[in-house]
Amino acid sequence: MKIVALMKKEFHRFFHDPRLIVTILLPGLLIFLLYFFMGSMIHSESGREMRVYLSGDSAIVDFLGQQIEGRGDKVEWIPLENEEEARAEIKEGKATAILTFTKDFDLFGEDARVGLVYDSGSETGSYFYSLATSVLISVGMRFPIDVQTVQEGGNVGMEILTSILPFLVVTFVFSACMSVTLESVAGEKERGTLATILATSVKRSHIAIGKIVPLSCIAAIGAASSFFGVIFSLPKLMGIGFDVLFAGSYGFLSYFMFFLLILSVVPLIVSAIAAVSALAHTMKEASGYTGVIMIVVMVLSFVSLAADGLGSWAVAVPVLNAVISMGNILSGELVLWQALVSVGANLLYAALLVWLIARMLSSERVMFGK
Amino acid sequence: MDDLFGEEIVRAEALKKTFTLSRKQQKIEKTTLTRKVAVDGLSFSAYRGEIYGLLGPNGAGKTTTLRILSTLIGADEGDAWIMGHSVRKEPAEVRDRIGFLTSELKLEGFFTPDYLFDFFGAMHGVEKSVLAARKQELFSRFGIGSFAQVKVGDLSTGMKQKVSLVISIVHDPDVVIFDEPTNGLDVLTAKVVTDFLAELKAMGKSILLSTHIFSLAEKLCDRVGIIIDGKMIEDGALAALCGGKPLEEKFFEIYRGVKGEIL
Repeated sequence: MKIVALMKKEFHRFFHDPRLIVTILLPGLLIFLLYFFMGSMIHSESGREMRVYLSGDSAIVDFLGQQIEGRGDKVEWIPLENEEEARAEIKEGKATAILTFTKDFDLFGEDARVGLVYDSGSETGSYFYSLATSVLISVGMRFPIDVQTVQEGGNVGMEILTSILPFLVVTFVFSACMSVTLESVAGEKERGTLATILATSVKRSHIAIGKIVPLSCIAAIGAASSFFGVIFSLPKLMGIGFDVLFAGSYGFLSYFMFFLLILSVVPLIVSAIAAVSALAHTMKEASGYTGVIMIVVMVLSFVSLAADGLGSWAVAVPVLNAVISMGNILSGELVLWQALVSVGANLLYAALLVWLIARMLSSERVMFGK
Repeated sequence: MDDLFGEEIVRAEALKKTFTLSRKQQKIEKTTLTRKVAVDGLSFSAYRGEIYGLLGPNGAGKTTTLRILSTLIGADEGDAWIMGHSVRKEPAEVRDRIGFLTSELKLEGFFTPDYLFDFFGAMHGVEKSVLAARKQELFSRFGIGSFAQVKVGDLSTGMKQKVSLVISIVHDPDVVIFDEPTNGLDVLTAKVVTDFLAELKAMGKSILLSTHIFSLAEKLCDRVGIIIDGKMIEDGALAALCGGKPLEEKFFEIYRGVKGEIL
């Protein structure tokens, strides 16, 4: 009963304060508007004329062609005869891309591969690349996509989905967790209202759980808002349609694991911020400590960009494990055991932090030290 | 002792509490010492149905003593028992039996008195039906009904103190510990509080309060303990302790005896 009352109080505090609701939901809306308008500006043009060299055949080509023409652009498929000449044309801006399919590609055999060469420095080339890769992923089959750019710098476009998106998700999760947790823990401690609860016989572990669980739920709403802000603006940003983005691309299990991973990170970050908030004397001090956590989380998210070089030990590293698994999911390479262990590990770390917070709430030096 | 005064409800034995002084605190206290003894071997008892007052100047250790008794902080040495439960070993048992009111414990300004009463009732495990009856009784007694749905943050100091008071006794505790209960209150609210303390006493509750207002102690307390520099200097029934003199005069007499002249 006591723990339920503690949780209800946190929910009541949030759902009866319009300012807090706006604070938690606004980032998602702003992200959506920002990315949507960025996308509109980038992809405002239509009537592009694309010349794409094609080697091999697949039904995907027809689908891709429909997608391109559905957006008011034109594409001319040219049979590939000389790759060197085609590459030179792409570099000169005379052609858009080279798209190659292995023999009997549509049987999706073990040898099925797709090759894509384009100019990442060209707007039309990047547009075709985004559209083509999205269509290829949306097919939902596991085959390697060999992407090359004629530019020296390499391609970064697809990393929006596979690397940057998990990083963005963690950033949004962190921002949502921070806005609710700092106020609820450090704020209550600073204002002396936490001490009033400590003067009652309620168990300290119940106070810790009574804060972390509802705050995690609230932060998850904020994180979901930001996440959907990104998801709904991505098609516009990438110049592709929802149908391409969602057309059976990842499957239920992948989406489910993706959300599970997000949900595992939320209580972990909430607990970490709550722990430093309990330690701090003031909101200002807690914000400073939270800044350090934020840097650690950001670094862990960045490290994931080099995930290929990391061993399976990374699954034990909080946040990093989730970011790697999210990246895998978005690349269409969900490793179920890795994702499940990541979720378990993050929840275990969160539980350990809750235990630590309960110890802190029992500590006179932490709660009442000057 | 028990035969003379009744059932012993509160017993403190050789309580000692030392705090580490920060550099800032050292400057304020004008000392180079890194530790300060706030409570120094303090012992006393309070009995059922009496009001026991801890008297002393600011910084004497009154609040620290009450914080130890309410289990918010622990004593370095010694122990205290509330209705037979050790504050050191059974803090949760103690918390269920006391109502603690101090300016240090605040109420969340976002919530209404009505919500907070229910919330703290749940924190003390009070049954809903009992809680509803108690809310009606206490809100009516203190005139809180008219602002029960107003956020605490929007209430006046007097209103807030009334709300804090009723919430501190939401679970109908046998022992009530009030730290400077009339501080900062207007005369009307202060009277409501002091009258209520007398009512609690009449109901057989044991009340421990700290104050430096002599008139309040003279009006309410059955027995008083005079604390100076963390030590219990005198402790006894008010009339016997004063020996026919006004409490204020007696206090300063004791103070001069301990500290010399008043600076």
